[in-house]
Amino acid sequence: MLALVLRGFMQRKLRVALTGIAIALGVALMAGTYILTDTINNSFAGIFKTANAGHDVVVTPAQRLGSRVRSQVSPITEAMLARVRAVPGVTQAAGGIFSVGTFLDVHGKRLTTGGAPAFVASEVPKRFESFAPLAGRFPANADEVAIDQATAERAGLKLGGQLQIAASAPAKRYLIVGIVKFAGSQSFGGAGAAILILAEAQRVVGEQGQFDQLDVAASPGVTAAQLRDRIRVVLPRTVEVRTGAQQAAKQSSDLESNLSFIRTFLLIFAYVSLFVGAFIIFNTFSITVAQRTREFGLLRTLGASRQQILREVIFEGVLLGVGGSLLGLLGGIALAPALDQLFKAFGADLPDSGTVLQTRTIVVSLLVGTIVTLLAGLTPALRATRVPPIAAMREGVEIPPPPPPTLARLVIRFVLGLAVLLAFATLLGGGLTPVGLAVALGIRVAFFYGGLRVRARGRRYRVVPALARALGVLVSWRGITGRLARENAMRQPGRTMVTAAALMVGLALVTFVAVLADGTKASIDRAVSRSFAGDLIVENSQAGNEQGIPALVAPALRQVPGVASATPIAFTKARLHGTSSNATVTAVDPSTFGQVYRIEWKQGSPATLLSLGSNGMIVTKGYAESHHLKVGQTVYVLTPAERNIPLTVRAIANDNARLLGNFTIPLPLARSAFGQRDDALDFVSYAPGASNAQVQPAVNRLLDARFPQAKSRTAAQFKADQANQINTLLALIYVLLALSVIVSLFGIVNTLILSIYERTRELGMMRAIGTSRRQLRQMIRYESIITALIGGILGLAIGLLGAVIAAQALSSSGFVLSIPVGTLLILLLVAALAGVIAAQAPARRAAKLDLLQALAGE
Amino acid sequence: MEYSAGSTDGSLGSADGRVGSAAMVSAHDLRRRFGEGEAAVDALDGVSIDFPAGRFAAIMGPSGSGKSTLMHILAGLDSPTAGTVSLDGVELTTLDDKRLTLLRRDRVGFIFQTFNLLPVLSAEENILLPLSIAGRKPDREWFDRLIDTIGIRDRLHHRPAEMSGGQQQRVAVARALISRPAVVFADEPTGNLDSKASGDVLELLRHAVDDFGQTVVMVTHDAHAASFADRLLVLADGRIVHDREAATAEQAHDLMKSAG
Repeated sequence: MLALVLRGFMQRKLRVALTGIAIALGVALMAGTYILTDTINNSFAGIFKTANAGHDVVVTPAQRLGSRVRSQVSPITEAMLARVRAVPGVTQAAGGIFSVGTFLDVHGKRLTTGGAPAFVASEVPKRFESFAPLAGRFPANADEVAIDQATAERAGLKLGGQLQIAASAPAKRYLIVGIVKFAGSQSFGGAGAAILILAEAQRVVGEQGQFDQLDVAASPGVTAAQLRDRIRVVLPRTVEVRTGAQQAAKQSSDLESNLSFIRTFLLIFAYVSLFVGAFIIFNTFSITVAQRTREFGLLRTLGASRQQILREVIFEGVLLGVGGSLLGLLGGIALAPALDQLFKAFGADLPDSGTVLQTRTIVVSLLVGTIVTLLAGLTPALRATRVPPIAAMREGVEIPPPPPPTLARLVIRFVLGLAVLLAFATLLGGGLTPVGLAVALGIRVAFFYGGLRVRARGRRYRVVPALARALGVLVSWRGITGRLARENAMRQPGRTMVTAAALMVGLALVTFVAVLADGTKASIDRAVSRSFAGDLIVENSQAGNEQGIPALVAPALRQVPGVASATPIAFTKARLHGTSSNATVTAVDPSTFGQVYRIEWKQGSPATLLSLGSNGMIVTKGYAESHHLKVGQTVYVLTPAERNIPLTVRAIANDNARLLGNFTIPLPLARSAFGQRDDALDFVSYAPGASNAQVQPAVNRLLDARFPQAKSRTAAQFKADQANQINTLLALIYVLLALSVIVSLFGIVNTLILSIYERTRELGMMRAIGTSRRQLRQMIRYESIITALIGGILGLAIGLLGAVIAAQALSSSGFVLSIPVGTLLILLLVAALAGVIAAQAPARRAAKLDLLQALAGE
Repeated sequence: MEYSAGSTDGSLGSADGRVGSAAMVSAHDLRRRFGEGEAAVDALDGVSIDFPAGRFAAIMGPSGSGKSTLMHILAGLDSPTAGTVSLDGVELTTLDDKRLTLLRRDRVGFIFQTFNLLPVLSAEENILLPLSIAGRKPDREWFDRLIDTIGIRDRLHHRPAEMSGGQQQRVAVARALISRPAVVFADEPTGNLDSKASGDVLELLRHAVDDFGQTVVMVTHDAHAASFADRLLVLADGRIVHDREAATAEQAHDLMKSAG
C-alpha cells in the first residue's frame, strides 16, 4: 500500500508539495519559537551559572511579590553584612551593587537601547568577580569605570575615553580604565555593564550603605547548604539566603517565566497558521477525493473494503503530515534566528548563543503537524469510503451524502472536538485551567450548534455565490474573461468558501487587531486630553523598560523659570492581605497632583487628596467592587519592602487614563514603606503667562545636563509617542500574521491548479476557438481575485464584528471604538493583491496547456 | 494585431464571388511526424489537398489514419513537420501562436464531438462566446437567423446541463457559425449523438453550406454522416487513398472497409 500511496504522490507532486508547505509553515513557526526561546533561556542559564560560580551562599532581597520593582531600595544593609561575616564558617563575604542604569556618550547619546538593560555594577572581591579585564584594569577611584567589551565595541569606546552614567544620581562622566569580558565563554546576553568602585556604585544607584546582593564564601569543610542555614538564622525575613547553585536556578526560572510571554505570543501565531493550513488540507483532500472517485470505485470493484479505502487516504494524510512537519521542523531551525532578528528589529535584543534543539521541540512539532493534517483530512477520507463501486464504470457518479448522524455519533463528535480544543488550550496556556476549560467548552458548543443549524438549513454556502456575484461586477468590465471568472468562482461554492476561509482567518485577525489598536490610540488620546491638565510630562526616554527617573528631577524642575509645579508620580505594587495576586500601586504627591490631573471621583473629592494623611489611599472603582472595599475601611497590605502596613480607604475613583493603579497612595509612604527610590514620571505645569516655546527648551537643557535619561513631552507629543509604540507592536503582529496569509495563498494556488486540471477540456476548447493565452491568464487571475476578496470581505466583517464586541465589553473602562477605514481599505487591496500573486503560477499553467492534449481531455 | 492577407470584412467566402473556384483551405505536401528515431510515426505522409469555398467535405479513415491530425493542422491547432497550409489566403505555417489564435478566432469555426460548451454560460452566451472573446458586438440579424435555423430559441437562457445532447450540439453549431468564419471544422460532430439528433445536426451543416455558402470540413468515421457531404476523402496511413464527389452511405461504408 505504501508503494501505491507513494506512486500517487509522485503523480501529484505539485499538489503534495503545496499542501505539505501549508502545514510546514505553521510547524516552522512553532518549532522556531521553541528553538528561539529555549536558546534564550539556555543562554541566560549559562550566564547565571557563570555569574554565581565561586559563590557558596548568596543573600538577595526577598521577593514575595514576585520580581523586584527596579527602582526599589534594597533591604540589605551594612549591618547585615557585618552579621554574615561573624557567622562561623564564613571565610569571605562582600556586598555588591548590580542595578539598572543608563549609559551615554559624552554628547548625551544613549549607548544602550532596546530590551537588554545596562547594569551598574560594583567591583567585588576577586573570588566573586564575574568580570575579567581584557584590557586595562578595574576602577581604582570614584571617577573611573571599566565597561564590558560588547558595549565598548558597539559604541566605539576606547581606553582613555569617557562614559556618562545616569541612574538615581545626576549623570556623571567617568574615565574608561578597563574593558572587561563576562567570565566564561558566554556573552553577557546583549546587556551592557559598567563597573565602578563600590562606594561610587552605591551613590550612583542611590543606595548608600546598601547592597543589592551579598556574596559569601565558605571555609573548607563547610558545605554551601550548611553555611546557608547558618546565615539564614542571623538575617531578617526581608532577605533570601540561597546557595550559589540555588541562586542560579532561581534566576534562570525567574527569567524563563518572565520571557514565557514571548513563547505564548509567538505560539499563538503558529497555531493560527496551522489552523489556516488545516483548511487547505481539508480542501485539497476533498478535491483529490472527488477527482479520484473513479479510482476508488475501481478499487471497490476489485474487492477493496471501505476500511481499506479509508486506510489508504488516512495513510496519505499521515505521510503528508509527517513530511510537512519534518519540513517545518527544518524550517523552524532556519526560522529561529530570523525571529530573533525580528525581535531585535522591534527593539528587544535577547541573548542567543548556540541553537538549542530539544527533544520536546521535535516531538511536539511532528505530533502537532501530523495530527492537524490527519484531523483535517478525516472528513474527506470518510467521504472517499462512500464511493460506490459503480463509479468505476460511469463518469459523474455522485458520492452519496453521509447518513444522518446518530445520537451516539453526535456525542462522539462533540467530545472529540472538545478534546482537540482542550489539547490546544493546554498547549497554549501551559496547563489546563478552569478558564481554558470554560472557553473551550463555549467554543465547542457554539461550533456544534452552528454546524447543526447550518446542516439543517442546507444552505451553507449561500454567501459565496452572493459575494461572487457582487464582486463579479468589479471585473465585468473586462468582458467575457471577467464574466467567466465570476461564474467559475461560483461553480463550487463549498470549495471557494473553504479556500477563501483560509485567507479570511488571517484577515479577520489583522482587522481585529487593527481596529482595537486604533481604538486604543483613540482611547489614550481621549483619556490624556480629559485627565491631564499639566503642560509637560517628563519620563525616562525608555519608559517601557520599567526604568524611572531620579527623585531629584522634580525638585530640579521646580527651579526652571516658568515652571509653576512639578509633581512626581511613582509606580509600585502591593498585595492585599488575604489575596494571592498583586495590586498595582500609584504613588502621588497629594498636595500638587490634583492640580495637574483630573480624577473621576466616585466617592470623595479633590479635597480628599489633600487629606490622605500618612496612610490613606484612593481605590479604583473596579478593584473596590471586586474586593468589597468601602470608604473608611482599613486593610493590611504587603509591600515590596516586605512590610505589612495598614492602609485606609479614603476615596473611590475611576481613571480611564489608567495612570492610577488599584491603590493610589501618598508618595512619602511609598518612599518609607515600599522602598520606592525613583519616580516613574513628573507632571509639569507652567506658571501663568509662560509659553511652551520658552519653558520646554529650558526644561530640556536641565535634563540634558543632569538627567539625560529623562525626556520631556507635551501632551500632544506624549500621545504621538504612545501611538508610535502601539504602531510598533502592531507592525510586529502584522509580520507574524502575514505567515498565515502566506499559508492561505498556497491554498488559493492549490485550489486554482486543481480547478484548472478539472477544466482542462474547457480551456482547450476556449483556446481552439480563439481565446488568447493572455485572456486565459486574465480569467484565472480574476477568479483568484474574486476568491481572495470573498475571504477579505468576510475576514473584514468578522474581524470588525469581533472588535466591536470587544470594544463594547471594554467601553466601561473608557475604551473608544475607532475604525481605521484607510487600513481596512488597504487590507482589501492586500487581499486582492494576494489573489493576483496566488494566480501567477496557475494562470501560467493554464496558458501553457497543450491545446491538442487538452482537447483530447487528458 | 492582424494576420497578413485575406478578407477582413468578416463576410463569408460566398459573398465575394469565390464560390467553387478559389480554394478556401489548401495544403501542399503535408507531413507530420510524432516522436523521434525508431519510435517515430508519420501521421501524415505527403498530403496535398484543396477545399473549395462553399463546399462540404467529409474526411474518413480508420483510427490512426491521420484524419484528425490533418484537420488539426488545417485548422491551425497543430503545425506540420513539413509542407504548407493556407486558409482564406493566409499562409498558416508562418504564423506565430498569437496570430494563429486570432486567425482561429476570426476565421475558423469549430464543432467538437463532446460539444464543449461552457457549463457556466447560457446557450445564448455560449453561441456568442467567440464574439465575446473578440470583444465584438453580435450582428443581431445574423444571430436571429441562426437561432431560427437551428431552432433553439426557447432554450436560449438554459445552461448546457439543462439541454439534451442534440440541443447542445446544435448550440455548438451556432457557436461555430456566429462569427461567419471562412471555414467550419467539425470533428466527429455526431459521435456522441443518437441517430435522430445526428440527422438534425448534419442537416444543419448541409443547410449552412447550401444557404449560407459556408465552407465545412468534417472528420467522421460514420458513413451515414459522410453521405451528407459534397465530397468524400478517405485517409489511410497518412495518405489520401480516395477523393471523389459525393457518395452514398453504402459507398462510403465500402470505401472505409477497403481502406481499413
